[in-house]
Amino acid sequence: MADSADRYDRRAFLARGATTAAAVGLAGVGLPTLLSACSSTTTKTTPRRLSAPGIGTGKPKRGGTITVGLNSEIDGFLPSTNHFDNSGLTYANSVYDTLTMIAADGSAKPYLAKSVTPNPDLTVWTITLRPGITFHDGSPLNADVVLANIQSLQSSALTGQALKGVVSSIAKVSDMAVAITCSEPIVAFPHYLATQVGYIVAMAQLESQSSTKPVGTGPFSLVEWVPNDHMTVKRNPHYWRAGLPYLDGVTYRPIAQDQSRENSLKSRTIDLMVTRDPNAIRDLQDNSGFQVVRNPSVGQNDMDFVILNTTVDPTSDPLVRQALAHAIDVDQLVKLFGAGIAKPNLSLFPPGSPYRAADNGYPKYNLAKAKALVAQAAPNHGGSIKVSLATITDPRLLNEIQAIASMWELAGITTTVSEVEQVTFIDNLVTGQFQAYTDEMFAATDPDLNYVWMSPTTANPPIALNFSRNKDDALEAALQRGRTTSDPTVRIQAYQEVDKRLSADLPYLWASQATWSLTGSNSVSNFNNLTLPDGSRALGFASGIFNPTPAWRED
Amino acid sequence: MLRFIATRLVQLVVICFLISVFAFLLVHLLPGDPTLAILGPNDTPAARAVLLHQLGLNKGLVSQYGTWIMNIFHGNLGASFLTKQTVTNALGVAVPIDLELVVVSQVLALLVAIPMALIAALRPNRLFDRIATTSTFAMLSLPTFVAGPLLVLVFAVTLKWVPATGFDRLSQGLGQNLKSVILPSVALAIGSVTVYYRLLRADLIATLQEDFVTMARSKGLSTRYILMRHVMRPSSFSLLAGAGISIGTLFTGAFVVEVLFQLPGIGYQLVQAIYSRDYLVVQGMALVAAVAFVVVNFGVDFLLTILDPRVRRA
Repeated sequence: MADSADRYDRRAFLARGATTAAAVGLAGVGLPTLLSACSSTTTKTTPRRLSAPGIGTGKPKRGGTITVGLNSEIDGFLPSTNHFDNSGLTYANSVYDTLTMIAADGSAKPYLAKSVTPNPDLTVWTITLRPGITFHDGSPLNADVVLANIQSLQSSALTGQALKGVVSSIAKVSDMAVAITCSEPIVAFPHYLATQVGYIVAMAQLESQSSTKPVGTGPFSLVEWVPNDHMTVKRNPHYWRAGLPYLDGVTYRPIAQDQSRENSLKSRTIDLMVTRDPNAIRDLQDNSGFQVVRNPSVGQNDMDFVILNTTVDPTSDPLVRQALAHAIDVDQLVKLFGAGIAKPNLSLFPPGSPYRAADNGYPKYNLAKAKALVAQAAPNHGGSIKVSLATITDPRLLNEIQAIASMWELAGITTTVSEVEQVTFIDNLVTGQFQAYTDEMFAATDPDLNYVWMSPTTANPPIALNFSRNKDDALEAALQRGRTTSDPTVRIQAYQEVDKRLSADLPYLWASQATWSLTGSNSVSNFNNLTLPDGSRALGFASGIFNPTPAWRED
Repeated sequence: MLRFIATRLVQLVVICFLISVFAFLLVHLLPGDPTLAILGPNDTPAARAVLLHQLGLNKGLVSQYGTWIMNIFHGNLGASFLTKQTVTNALGVAVPIDLELVVVSQVLALLVAIPMALIAALRPNRLFDRIATTSTFAMLSLPTFVAGPLLVLVFAVTLKWVPATGFDRLSQGLGQNLKSVILPSVALAIGSVTVYYRLLRADLIATLQEDFVTMARSKGLSTRYILMRHVMRPSSFSLLAGAGISIGTLFTGAFVVEVLFQLPGIGYQLVQAIYSRDYLVVQGMALVAAVAFVVVNFGVDFLLTILDPRVRRA
């Protein structure tokens, strides 16, 4: 049964996966910011007093507990083997710390690390740890622990694949420093350390490989985890960040149904909730009784899209993919299901991102053109185009794919709609047993974090992390340029080229940016105002990931 | 009497054995390969071979069953491959929830249904009977997935009297515990009230027309005495049989309510396990739910034999 922990979870794997586990990101932030940000050591924990949702305006109050409603449950707490979706990363933020953390400006800054510095050609990164930090079991944080953590990640089937193209070797430099050699220059390396692979667990947990008893350096330590019911943590009195956390404890409750979670918040059963339901966000954002924190406006959020398998008939035909893209009226789709919250977005990158091509060439809605393409392609597919479109079992998503199917039908594409249970869904994606699935992923603090999902090098059977199996040499070249160059201008050009290549290849049919929000009652304060050790503000809530460290109760 | 109980016990053992066989085979009948579900992208021939060995799936079915049932007798139902939580621990979370839901909901249902049926049966086709019959008929048309959210909207969201979701254990305080189960219990009780009311009313009306009731009335006995002493017992057989089925069904049939109120009871955990093909959890939960159903109905049969000697002779 030991291997069973390596089973993949759809949300974790697709929405962020092992490498894209942090929040939103780097768009608009150049390398100099990124690098210079990785050497600060100042410790400041006083929250900024700004008048905005989730930001405290008074003196921090100590004590009390809060209950947080999450949208999903996870399978355990071991970063190398468990599947950290947004809920998993929220749990992890409570009991662990990452080596780096994303700042509000999108840069990756040292956190458990005192500094993360590269050699001149960005192939060797030296991580120096802060002194005096201890795990919940009293053991010290040192180079040996970090070394063991990264080796464990490398040997894991889950995280190993993602690290394969990044980390080639690791060596202990001193008692408090390790050097990681990359297989090629990795500009965004510090960003990887803010993701699932950046959480550092105690040696004892590594040795036991326990996925149920996390031992970290985090602001809270585990009291109890009852899967599908609750996870309770208590304040870590020896937390390395002086004065933090303010709360005595936090209870997380997975509440799968969006409406039930919203009702729980409104009835004060819970104090905070995470949701991506546009209807809930719309209901709560104008209510003075609640504080609604939305996704930050920097970086890449998760995208909602249809993924097409480019290796099976008929979606292997570029003409068919173009027809499918032209047939979707995204504006109408978003109008129907976005509750006025979601916005159409026909690009991997959000509006305002420097990486977004001014004209990426993505096929606009054009029913006549779609019909013409269907007529052109049909003879090569037995006279008609038949596509199977599926999503995971979820009433809201089923409604969405039914709308998409009806649009495709109008273009003359016979579409069968089905729901697939979660485990089968991910199995089918990685093994290529699908034609068209709706999905949500690509949140990243740096566009390079999405390399593994798009590169032709990961598109080969039997297990492909590039689920669409799209193989485009020009795309790979652009991804490589973005990955290895430190020149912001070149990176911008590279990712704009990625945007264009994806629009030409059409492995993904874009719809909108996923809507996430963290909503709290007014009895909780400062829940989105974490400061970093250098005094700058952390990015905070993004893509469904919450960090409870700065929160306090007002009552 | 003893012979009757012994016969029923033998039947119970046979049924439990058959249930265990079906529960064991259940996972083998689920679509897809459980090893693929467990391994996911790590599915290689070598990994699969190891897992098959670990799960005992490489052995014959009889051998697999033998191992499984022996483990159960030792209190080992295995562990979730997903969360590593033992099935016994999962049941330790789920069973108290379901037990409390069943008890509270059925007590509520009986507390409402019995007085209503008594009043209605005493004056059949009068105003109260018509109102009660019509309103219970309306309640029967109100599925739990409608009743649940309505109750939440009124009593949790608007009035904030009770929590909208979650279960507080008895150890957290009786008041808090009852607050957390009252809404789901009411949602479950609504359907039961209708059934119990209609069953009891019909039997009461029939019994009240019996000669012995006329005789009792002619002796000048009070209506209350007649009802409680002479009418309730012979009128409660259908109610008891209905309650047995209803209570047994609730162990898994409360799934909708458990989802709405986020209560990790047996039904909820069973469905979650089926979705993720969590092999041992499905087996364990299905087994316990089915055995609970059978045991509850065995208990009802036993009660019926006490209340009605004719059952023993049948």
